[in-house]
Amino acid sequence: MPLMLVGLNHRTAPVEVRERLSMDERKMDEILQSLLACGPLHGVAMLSTCNRVEAILSAPNEDVIEQIVDWMAQRAGAARVELEKHLYILRYGDVVKHLFRVCSGLDSMIVGEPQIGGQVRKAFQLAQDNGTLDALLTQLYEQTMRVAKRVRTDTGIGEHAVSVPYAAVELAKKIFGQLEGLQVLLLGAGEIGELTAEHLHGQNVKQVFVANRSYERAVELAARFEGLAVQFGSIEEHLATCDIVIASTGAPHFVVEPQQVRRALATRKNRNLFLIDLSVPRNINPDIAGIDGAYLYNVDDLQHVADANRELRQKKAQQAEEIITREVDSFRKRLVAQDAVPTILELQGRLEEIRATELEKCLRKMGPMTPEQRTAVELFSSQMINKILHYPILQLKDASDEPQERESLRKTIRKIFGLRS
Amino acid sequence: MNPNLTLYIALGFYGAGTLVALLSLFAREKRMQHTGLGLMVVGFLSHTVWIGTICTITGHPPITNLPETASFIAWLVFLAELVLFIVYRVHAASFFVYPLVLILLSVTAVVHEPFAHSPKLLSRLFTAHLLLTTTGVAALLIGLAFGLLAHLQDRALKSKTRGRLWDLIPSLNVCKDVSYRALAIGFSVYTLGLVTGVLWSYKTTAGIVALRTKEVGAIVAWVLFAVVLQSYISGTYRTRRTMVVGAAAFVAIIVAMLGIHHV
Repeated sequence: MPLMLVGLNHRTAPVEVRERLSMDERKMDEILQSLLACGPLHGVAMLSTCNRVEAILSAPNEDVIEQIVDWMAQRAGAARVELEKHLYILRYGDVVKHLFRVCSGLDSMIVGEPQIGGQVRKAFQLAQDNGTLDALLTQLYEQTMRVAKRVRTDTGIGEHAVSVPYAAVELAKKIFGQLEGLQVLLLGAGEIGELTAEHLHGQNVKQVFVANRSYERAVELAARFEGLAVQFGSIEEHLATCDIVIASTGAPHFVVEPQQVRRALATRKNRNLFLIDLSVPRNINPDIAGIDGAYLYNVDDLQHVADANRELRQKKAQQAEEIITREVDSFRKRLVAQDAVPTILELQGRLEEIRATELEKCLRKMGPMTPEQRTAVELFSSQMINKILHYPILQLKDASDEPQERESLRKTIRKIFGLRS
Repeated sequence: MNPNLTLYIALGFYGAGTLVALLSLFAREKRMQHTGLGLMVVGFLSHTVWIGTICTITGHPPITNLPETASFIAWLVFLAELVLFIVYRVHAASFFVYPLVLILLSVTAVVHEPFAHSPKLLSRLFTAHLLLTTTGVAALLIGLAFGLLAHLQDRALKSKTRGRLWDLIPSLNVCKDVSYRALAIGFSVYTLGLVTGVLWSYKTTAGIVALRTKEVGAIVAWVLFAVVLQSYISGTYRTRRTMVVGAAAFVAIIVAMLGIHHV
């Protein structure tokens, strides 16, 4: 049963082409039905994200690919020849490998990003809800999700932040563990500081305080985080109560000094203080880094963390590729073996029939026998049949994943053993 | 059947588990860490059977001599590590705890002594002394292991460089919290163990407490652990001094253990 994939992604097609083909999730039932109407298909699922549009197909033969390409060209409002430049068509084992890689985040713009896993799940679920998943695609869906989970768990590919704001959140978690219940002080209204505060706010911190030279701007910004605006002069007071301080002002001098941090830490007992200086020129005196219990990171430090994480992801991607290669091979073998089951059963039945007939004739000719002698002759015949069947069965189970080649092998075996064609 | 068979099985699995866990530090494969933990758990189960066997043969807990005490502490330390792993999913502590467990059980296997019923364990006070002391020591060792993790995490965050343990160590707060709790509980239990020991000694030797290696080591360890605990309470636990005192406390505990003869 051919398994195919027709699609394009951020590497093969510019956004102008991708946006013309992108599909609305709410209209997926119509889209799937319209695809099914293209030609003889057993099953279909459609994956549409901002970076890729892919139709995953299970069909009796490959002829349907032409109709699918036409359908896509029509949908994109483009000439078929134009669209074909951006399309890739994958078959059999390549489809399995591609889906395993996509769902594990290895084919994403940012390697290891986690959203794609959910998008693939959603695509298959929509197809399942619309009744367009056949047994083969259902198996493929389940195995894809299992492999993606294994890749993420075994390699930890998506664990490390690759942007400055996320790197700050990751470091905050390394210091405090859970961020729930912590208090954040945002100094200034710089863009990157705002973004970092937004990410921290998304981690359910208890409160965000915003201090800015312009109190009105502080009020406006605090409203975004459901936080509180405070006077710029009350920084030290808040250093004692807040756990994370983000400085992102335009001031050409330090606004947080070591003595302020020392005084604040003295009242905090064992509680640590994480200071993030995202301003240039810097707003937090670097000498603070030497104070016990205070952890200071500036924008370069965070960029280094993000860069190191990106390199780490690349290394983990190599481990992930090895896992995927093994998983593809094992899934392919399982599919081929499943496909061979009817022929194997028929073959075993046919030879068992021959064995039973010939055994009966032989026993009649041999005359009276003891039960032990009879058992020995029966055992001999069974073992001989098993030996004869061993290699044909092995060949059927280990056949190529190309359906034509498998069919040709099946035909040959059927012919040799006189099975119904 | 040889009653020590389960001890050797436990030792074999602890050895394999420790080796795999240490190798995972270089391979950086999570699967290897899980395999290491799995091997240690099998060793722990076998270890538990061995302890149960001694209890059945002698009729009292296996804490009558150095090998038995070392084994019992190793068992308690791994039990605590297992509980902490279930709660916090911490793999990093295994790099200190697994070798410690392996060394303690190796002591048991090498310095092996025949099982014997000790009449002294008919005294509840003495049994309480042994159980409280060994439990306290196990908790204090866990406290030191997590204290070391907290120190490593603090250094990594300060120097802005991540070492091999970065991904395996939980947050600084978790390390500090577990270390403090284990030290506080361990210190209280250990203190009770020492007090019951002194009371028992007074009762049996008419007021004279002999100051041999075991007793001196135990008292020195108690003082040093008090200093470590105080540094947590006062918030000065990050200093190098605390780490040095913690290491000295560990040595004192080992010296006290080596001083254990038959009870």
